[in-house]
Amino acid sequence: MKRSNWFIHRFEVINAILIALVSLSTALSVWRTNVIGSNAEEASRRGLIDAVKNQAYENENYRKAYEEAGFAYQYAVKEAEVNALEDASSAEIRDRGVNIRQYLLPNMQLLAQPLATDEKYRNADGTYNLQKRMDDLRSENTDPVDPAVSFKRADSLFSQQRWLVIGSILLAVSLFWLALAEVSKDGSRTIQFVIGLAIYLIGVLWFVGVEMTFFFLRRGA
Amino acid sequence: MSETTETPILQVEQASDKYKNLIVILTVFTTVLAAVLAALQADASIRSDIANRDSQYLAIQASGELHRSGLEANYEFTVFGDYMKNLQESTIMQLTALEQEQDGDDDAARTTNELADIAQARADAAVKFSTLYSDPRYAPQGDDIMPRAEQYIIDINAKSNEIVAQQNESADAYDRWNRKADSYVTALTILAVAFFLFGLAQAVKSARMRLAFAAFGIVVILFTLFVSAITLIA
Repeated sequence: MKRSNWFIHRFEVINAILIALVSLSTALSVWRTNVIGSNAEEASRRGLIDAVKNQAYENENYRKAYEEAGFAYQYAVKEAEVNALEDASSAEIRDRGVNIRQYLLPNMQLLAQPLATDEKYRNADGTYNLQKRMDDLRSENTDPVDPAVSFKRADSLFSQQRWLVIGSILLAVSLFWLALAEVSKDGSRTIQFVIGLAIYLIGVLWFVGVEMTFFFLRRGA
Repeated sequence: MSETTETPILQVEQASDKYKNLIVILTVFTTVLAAVLAALQADASIRSDIANRDSQYLAIQASGELHRSGLEANYEFTVFGDYMKNLQESTIMQLTALEQEQDGDDDAARTTNELADIAQARADAAVKFSTLYSDPRYAPQGDDIMPRAEQYIIDINAKSNEIVAQQNESADAYDRWNRKADSYVTALTILAVAFFLFGLAQAVKSARMRLAFAAFGIVVILFTLFVSAITLIA
């Protein structure tokens, strides 16, 4: 009975301290939510930078592959022409063929390498396997970056931000009930105080739960 | 004697405290409403950020795909043009050889025929490299028929068009969610006026003035709820 009186007399002070604590917790939760939001945007930005790097590398691969394909094509056509020249009945034409084979074709083959020199790129019909060449060019990238990794992390952080916002709302709602208990004069103030305190504890647990869940989901990252 | 002096003071105190609890409740309700609006604003902002990122990522992919298809088409039409040139050169040489034969110049006709064969050999080599002639989707179905170059151009740009369509969808989503996020910010700004009015209501001594400020505050809250509801439904 004595303890109950002590509580009633100091209720407003205790509640005021709790309101201050809840206000501080709300401020902290809003700060943390914003930090997570900033991290999510940073991960998104990094993903976009990786995507630009990847695309620039891929563009250069395609440019190189088609440049080589153009030279290889010209070499193949010239080689067919030389074969025809050498098969001609006219000695003049045959001589032309011999000279082109001796002096021009090797230089054209040099330009057309590796498609025209490496057998692994040659198809059975005499054309070149451009897809294989592209695969080889891609594998030459010693430092490949995958934007999907950063995007996945950004999505996870954005999701965490959403759940943390709900935690902030719970804390704000607890503030409502505690303030109500502070201004009430009748017996309902205890119920309001208990509701406010319960929602506050749920809000804090929610916040900690969300933090831990996403910490483990991202394996500590 | 003491009763007559205390009663007016008590009445004045009671009048100055009148509706104070109502103002506190309204202020706290406004706080909760602001928290909910802030949550909705945060959600819309997150969705807009994700859509914006997706739109930029797809734009990068679309530009890459356009670059690739441009290179491929350039190569393809160079081969095609080369093939056509050699084929026509061969035909013209054959016609020239015929004319030379008719004129009785057999040696010249033989040489010209050999030049025609050489041009034909170049054309035969080129045709193997041409998708327009080797791919059954575009290859001509008979003599004197051109390959289906239009279909080739449609097909080669299909992927980039698909990516651009996705990019447009993401850009529209970004626009939509960004507008929503802006509307929630507007609602929150209007709500700040309600906070101001309830603060004034708490400060004034007159109960009538307090009620008037509270009423204006309630009108502002209702307007905020209206703006928020419109934004939520949109």
